[in-house]
Amino acid sequence: MPTDAPSVLAKGVAQAAPIRPTQPRRRRSPALRKAFPYLLVAPAVAYLLVITLYPGLFAIYQSLFVVKFLTWTWAGADNYTTILQDREFWAALGNTAIIGGISLCLQTAIALTLAYFAYRDPLIRGWRIVYLMPMLFMPSAVAFIWKLAFNDGRVISDLLGRLGLIEGNVDWLGSIWLSRMTLIVADVWQWTPFLFIIFVAALQGQDQEIEEAARLDGASWPKIFWNISLPMMRPVIVVAVTLRGIDITTMFTNVFVMTQGTPGGATETMSYFIYRQGFRMFNFGYASAASVLMLILTIIIAQTVVKRAFHSGKS
Amino acid sequence: MASIHLQNIVKRYGGFVGVQNMSLEIADEEFLVLLGPSGCGKTTTMRMIAGLEVPTDGKIMIGGEVMNDVDARDRDVAMVFQGYALYPNMSIYENIRFPLRMRGVPASEHDARIRQAAEMVELGAYLDRKPAALSGGQRQRAALARAVVRQPQVFLMDEPLSNLDAKLRQSMRVQIKHMQRQLKVTTVYVTHDQIEAMTLADRIVIMNKGAIQQVGTPDEIYSDPANTFVAGFIGSPPMNLIEGTAQGGRFNAPGVSAPCPSNVQGKVTLGIRPEDCRIGGDNVQGLVYGVEPTGDTTYLTVLAGTKKIEVKAARDYRSDIDVSIGITFDPARLYFFGQDGERIRGVA
Ligand SMILES: Nc1ncnc2c1ncn2[C@@H]1O[C@H](COP(=O)(O)OP(=O)(O)O)[C@@H](O)[C@H]1O
Ligand SMILES: [Mg+2]
Repeated sequence: MPTDAPSVLAKGVAQAAPIRPTQPRRRRSPALRKAFPYLLVAPAVAYLLVITLYPGLFAIYQSLFVVKFLTWTWAGADNYTTILQDREFWAALGNTAIIGGISLCLQTAIALTLAYFAYRDPLIRGWRIVYLMPMLFMPSAVAFIWKLAFNDGRVISDLLGRLGLIEGNVDWLGSIWLSRMTLIVADVWQWTPFLFIIFVAALQGQDQEIEEAARLDGASWPKIFWNISLPMMRPVIVVAVTLRGIDITTMFTNVFVMTQGTPGGATETMSYFIYRQGFRMFNFGYASAASVLMLILTIIIAQTVVKRAFHSGKS
Repeated sequence: MASIHLQNIVKRYGGFVGVQNMSLEIADEEFLVLLGPSGCGKTTTMRMIAGLEVPTDGKIMIGGEVMNDVDARDRDVAMVFQGYALYPNMSIYENIRFPLRMRGVPASEHDARIRQAAEMVELGAYLDRKPAALSGGQRQRAALARAVVRQPQVFLMDEPLSNLDAKLRQSMRVQIKHMQRQLKVTTVYVTHDQIEAMTLADRIVIMNKGAIQQVGTPDEIYSDPANTFVAGFIGSPPMNLIEGTAQGGRFNAPGVSAPCPSNVQGKVTLGIRPEDCRIGGDNVQGLVYGVEPTGDTTYLTVLAGTKKIEVKAARDYRSDIDVSIGITFDPARLYFFGQDGERIRGVA
């Protein structure tokens, strides 16, 4: 083929030639390609190992000893056998379940109800940040606010009195259920917005056509919510409530500030029990054993809940 | 079963007019198709009939009753959405059952009616599945069954076939038409696909920019277009529209010369359909620009001046490009449009 008389086609190719890469193409070795995803997550994994795994393992190790400051005496499973017969441990577990359970149910129900009424309102989107405020406050500050409102400042007693509902001051720490209630109120106040925001986002993310179809099929808004929206947001509810549930089992700040476990240990949660064993009585090994048990229990419950919820959602 | 009247319907979104001053009468049992390019207000019109959108102005009547203030759920219309809008958490059976439950149909009737509706769309074997486990065509049919099962007064369908492939679309089209004839339910069907409109409709409403351009049977729309928009929108390839001047019974444009009625004068547009052009003769003097065989016909594009003219030629017609060619127009099939785009009707 005569190269001195290029055809139109050849000219086009000649013009395109300089665009071709002049360097050799870069290639990744197969080994690097395989390792690449792991390299990407390596920093996060390292962080998690240092932050959670090390203390976790340390706690497990420590739980096998009787620790008096710097002297560690091997105890084997002694801490565990003692704990399982400790009435205070079981009481703390029960208190955590009661206070946490009621609080979790209440905040889920309130958040769902509010989300149902609010999600179609365009204003909600604009003012999301307002609802997050209670979560943005420092937990100890919130706890002190509630301590003031209930106990020291008697704000709530005063308000109820003015409404004519009660006379005089209520001794919030004087009765088991009143005392537990103050913790529940504080937790619900602080964390309902978290669930509310998540539920509203889930509802707003749902396909609007589906709601409209249901509307034309003759469903009222409550029926649409109950039959369609709610089942559709089930995975979101499960995840949010599980996260919240795990968090609630470690409820500490409010107990520490507001009730200190009174009256008679009726508001002593698991975390407070562990704190008391560790930092008041300096039974570090014992406290570690309690926290290991709590960890195992939490993992089992969370696993079961999530697995169940997602499994039956699919079938 | 009911007729639908739209009286001077207007829908504004702020300053933007989605639907302008639309009046339409839809007869009982009629299959009416709203046809127009994307964004012309078809969906908006349909949603106003359904009650999902409130008209800014005007009156909507279904079965002789004013519906403006009647809630969507009380209008007794069923709608098939473009995205099907099946309930993902329910089986197909429960999906079809939902309107029966919500409308308080006695539970004893449910099963028979669900199976009948599913049978009608040939979906009987899939009733236990969730929507996610169905193909596009099956979901489509499930949505149809859900609309059919409660025997509404009016069917509304918003581009129900646009997500399906060409072959499936054809078979679903026939199925929808058959079903509508069988059930005799007034149907409003939205599409931007002219073939769908032509094949399904009793009457077609052509819309553009929120306004009705023409209402008529498919034949009328095709052979008697009211303006250049309709002429250019319908047909595939659409009508050739050639701008030129008419004087003393003759239309002239670069490379084009044709007879015209004496009342056509000045700057006008000539319209001629590709199938009304024949090769040979001298209405067009031009060059062959391209030849596209499709199997059963061959489309020939002729360049006359700067204007490309489409001609439907015999299936075995072949030609090189840039060859001189003459074209004859069927003189009985010439259309003329004024400068405003409106048709100039002959007074003979
Ligand atoms: N909620 C809305 N707000 C503003 N403009 C809208 C809204 N809904 C539709 N429109 C506009 O109205 C016009 C008609 O829309 P639509 O009826 O959906 O068209 P189509 O004929 O494609 O179905 C479009 O230009 C669209 O952008
Ligand atoms: Mg549309």
